Amino acid sequence: MSHHKLEVKDLHYSYPDDHKAVKGMSFCIYHGESVGIIGANGAGKSTLLMLLMGVIFPSQGEVCVGDVHVTKKTLPMIRKSLGMVFQDPDDQLFMNTVYDDVAFGPRNYKLDEKEVEKRVLNALELVGILHLKDRAPFKLSGGEKRAAAIASVLSMHPDILVMDEPTAALDPKSRRKVMKLLTSFNHTKIITSHDLDMIFEMCDRTIVIKNGEIAADGVTSEILVNAELMDACGLEIPLSLQNCPVCRTKKV
Amino acid sequence: MANIMNSLYNMRILDDLARQETVIHKLHSLMKLLTTVSYLTVVVSFGRYEIGGLLPFLIYPVMVFTLAELPVKPILLRILIVSPFIIGIGILNPFFDQQGYLLGERVISRGWITFGSILLKSGLTVTAALLLIATTGMDRLAGALRMMKIPRIFVLQLLLTYRYISVLMEEVARILRAYSLRAPNQKGVHRSAWGSLAGQLILRTFDRAQRIYEAMCLRGFAGEYNTGGFKEIRAWDLSYFIGWALFFAVARMYNIPMLIGSLITGVIK
Repeated sequence: MSHHKLEVKDLHYSYPDDHKAVKGMSFCIYHGESVGIIGANGAGKSTLLMLLMGVIFPSQGEVCVGDVHVTKKTLPMIRKSLGMVFQDPDDQLFMNTVYDDVAFGPRNYKLDEKEVEKRVLNALELVGILHLKDRAPFKLSGGEKRAAAIASVLSMHPDILVMDEPTAALDPKSRRKVMKLLTSFNHTKIITSHDLDMIFEMCDRTIVIKNGEIAADGVTSEILVNAELMDACGLEIPLSLQNCPVCRTKKV
Repeated sequence: MANIMNSLYNMRILDDLARQETVIHKLHSLMKLLTTVSYLTVVVSFGRYEIGGLLPFLIYPVMVFTLAELPVKPILLRILIVSPFIIGIGILNPFFDQQGYLLGERVISRGWITFGSILLKSGLTVTAALLLIATTGMDRLAGALRMMKIPRIFVLQLLLTYRYISVLMEEVARILRAYSLRAPNQKGVHRSAWGSLAGQLILRTFDRAQRIYEAMCLRGFAGEYNTGGFKEIRAWDLSYFIGWALFFAVARMYNIPMLIGSLITGVIK
């Protein structure tokens, strides 16, 4: 299943003000992997996601999805196999009803309306909000909005799910729900987050970014417990691995 | 500030109303659009002094209100929003057009008649447009416009403007909330902050619009706003349009109130 592979080769990107956001990143993500991308604020995570999705193009290097290079010409194809869930669901949901929002992607690919309906209902059922299909998105709660945003991407049947902070601004129970939901998917997943406990639970592999460069790339359970590395990258080891705040017992 | 959030919620009320399932809502959007366009054309075609002839045209909004089970208040409130502009346009007529006009036994200035006719016409046309949105919804309306071969760039412009109004208003609400929390003793926004607030607003809205646009592109948006398949036009949809078009034509050609009046006076004589 090589077409699910995502490869980044020597990626560079500078903003128009000459700020170098990405400096020579290279990695390869294979089919079925769950990869966490972590880093301090301004490390270049969001820029990297934008480069992967072809919203912006690198000044040097390349991104390949399967065997296809991400260029302006290949964008429609790339975006069919890469689905991105935005950090703020309000940026993603803009139609009148949840149904129309989830149908937006499939309709853009000129699918038959019957097929669109099938996909929409399927996606809504998968994320557990089928009963909200006729509601206006702006009237939903935070967790429901997130679920709708995920459904709006799932309806396009992507091979790779890219998620920017999927658990941000959610209450603990909604966060747990979203995590369970994401774990249940077989897609290749790329997740950026500051919620390191979530990354620890959900991703087998983690890429740590520091100042636009890859500081570490490896097995999550080894990287996230490396207090020295985490500290050097402006991060901390996950809360669940830190000392117990009551009895001070060491966990790691 | 609460007002802005309220109006944001209220703005979407037309969309909510459009999701009902009444006889009128189920009609084909193209037929409703054509009916409304012919209604607007006929109403606007009346001369300045012809108030009597306009009266039968009240039947159309009344019928739609009733059949579509729409609440009258929210729609009337929206008509009131445009009323200052209409009054602004018409209020000088009574001063400029002072020729006398015999109304029963009283003489009034013809300016008042034209003012009244402007009010009535604008009331009818604005109501018809609002009723169209409240029974069809913006998305299906856009579909109907596309069926009429209106260039997609215009339809897209219309739809995106409609969408972005709420984005703009949300940003306004946030900025005003932040401002008012740190300026508790002020009423409104001090003029010294107008410039920076407006600047902030435009920059934030740009950013937000950019993100929404990116989200659209990532889901395959390529310039065409697809709102789902079109229903087929049934005989009933067509007869709805033809029925109203005939009525409008008859009401335009014959002054129905006058005919009824002369009929009744004829009978009495």
